[in-house]
Amino acid sequence: MFDQTVYLTRCVLRNIRQSPVLSSAAIGTVAVALTILAFFALIVINVQSLAAHWSEEIQVVAYLDDEPQSTRLNDWRKLIVNMPEVARVSYVDREEALRRFSTRLGPDSDLLEGFGADILPASLEISFKAEHRSRQAAEAVVARLKQNPEFSDFSYGQDWLERFESFLDMLRFGGAVLGAFLLFAALFIVANTIKLTLYARRDELEIMALVGATPFFIKTPFLLEGAFHGAMGALIALGGSFALFQVFLQRGLASLLSLSGGGQIVFLAWQQQLLLIATGILLGIIGSVLSLRKFVRI
Amino acid sequence: MIQLYNVCKSYQKDSSAALHNLNLKIPKGDFVYITGPSGAGKSTLLKLLYCAEKPNRGQILVNGQNITRMGTGRIPYLRRRTGIVFQDFKLLESRTLFENVAFPLEVQGKKRYEISNKVYQTLKHVGLHGKLHKYPLQLSGGEQQRVAIARALVIDPLILLADEPTGNLDLEVTLGIFDLFKGANARGTTVLLATHNREMIRRFPRRVIALDKGQLVDDFTP
Repeated sequence: MFDQTVYLTRCVLRNIRQSPVLSSAAIGTVAVALTILAFFALIVINVQSLAAHWSEEIQVVAYLDDEPQSTRLNDWRKLIVNMPEVARVSYVDREEALRRFSTRLGPDSDLLEGFGADILPASLEISFKAEHRSRQAAEAVVARLKQNPEFSDFSYGQDWLERFESFLDMLRFGGAVLGAFLLFAALFIVANTIKLTLYARRDELEIMALVGATPFFIKTPFLLEGAFHGAMGALIALGGSFALFQVFLQRGLASLLSLSGGGQIVFLAWQQQLLLIATGILLGIIGSVLSLRKFVRI
Repeated sequence: MIQLYNVCKSYQKDSSAALHNLNLKIPKGDFVYITGPSGAGKSTLLKLLYCAEKPNRGQILVNGQNITRMGTGRIPYLRRRTGIVFQDFKLLESRTLFENVAFPLEVQGKKRYEISNKVYQTLKHVGLHGKLHKYPLQLSGGEQQRVAIARALVIDPLILLADEPTGNLDLEVTLGIFDLFKGANARGTTVLLATHNREMIRRFPRRVIALDKGQLVDDFTP
């Protein structure tokens, strides 16, 4: 067993040493494909975390034509809080609304001088339970409240949310299509690179078969070589994507995220890094298997 | 040891048969020349014996085992007891003599010390133990064929198949090569040697199987 392992390791190292150009080409192809893939994954992951952050803040504001009597207000509160999606309802009277507006205007708050509280409507702010923080839940609550004519208007950023969600869907779809295309292209190039190395060593393969090597014995060094190319390519891709992350993403996305209060942008988690390396290894192995099918005949 | 019953082989459906209804019995330890003009079916017969080709019809028994029914997975194990020598040597140019001869043993998963010992002894037997670390292209044609024979003998084969092993070599070298085959045969290996070389058959008379157009035309011992 030990001798076999030593033999296979020597075979792999010799193969790589004997065809450095082809090996570099295979590693380079995997590296480029996985770098682009990882870069795209980083954008999607960070934008998704931004979306998750925003969806946590989703709330419906129901504006009231007139300030309600306290009994009426309590009835509404009870009605809304009993809805399955709703976590909390808070009442904002006209004075509070004006105070908030004034705070938001900051140094320009003097523009409000001379205006009374009656310029702004009172409202009910409705927050959602964690599992119902979505546009659909907000729309469902609004649809129920609209049956009551005392609510004059509703606001929950519906147009903006819709646009953002379709942007996110497009980003995910684009990422998936580009990822699949890149993986396929990498697989094709890796398979052909290995085919070239096999072609260069067809005499060796023939002699191996003639002296009684089993298909497993013949194929294993090439599969290991493919796995090695894939792993090296993936490690380079990790380094490359980290460099891109530092140079472009951190600056670009950080400003976007800090504006929206979405927190820090992050690099791939260790599980995702392992997944990238595993993808590289798998890519190399599948590329080898595809080529070996044609070349190894007993 | 080797038995062929009504063996037919053609490479294409509409072409003439490379072997036609061949029946043969070769006992264990025999030394057999397979002769005939080009295209007689000599190489095809050897290829059938090491399962590089399958017959279209008929049965072939090697050491009691029907190799025509043998699954692909068993073929490597048949070849581990069969030494094969070719006219063009089929050596790995990027490997040293030692590595070339060690190759069949590595394939069988033998231990390293076992391989070193056996390879050295075999190369000594063919007179090349002083060139262990040379590469095939640094050797003459005769020496390269000796390496190929050493590679075939290193596994102590039950059967040694040689396809025109001296086709490109001069008489003096050929005599040396034949001594190696005779030596292997003397140690109990069954030898089948496909050749055009009538001079060798005259010098070392053994059983001759003559083929022509895929048919057995003569089988005699001079």
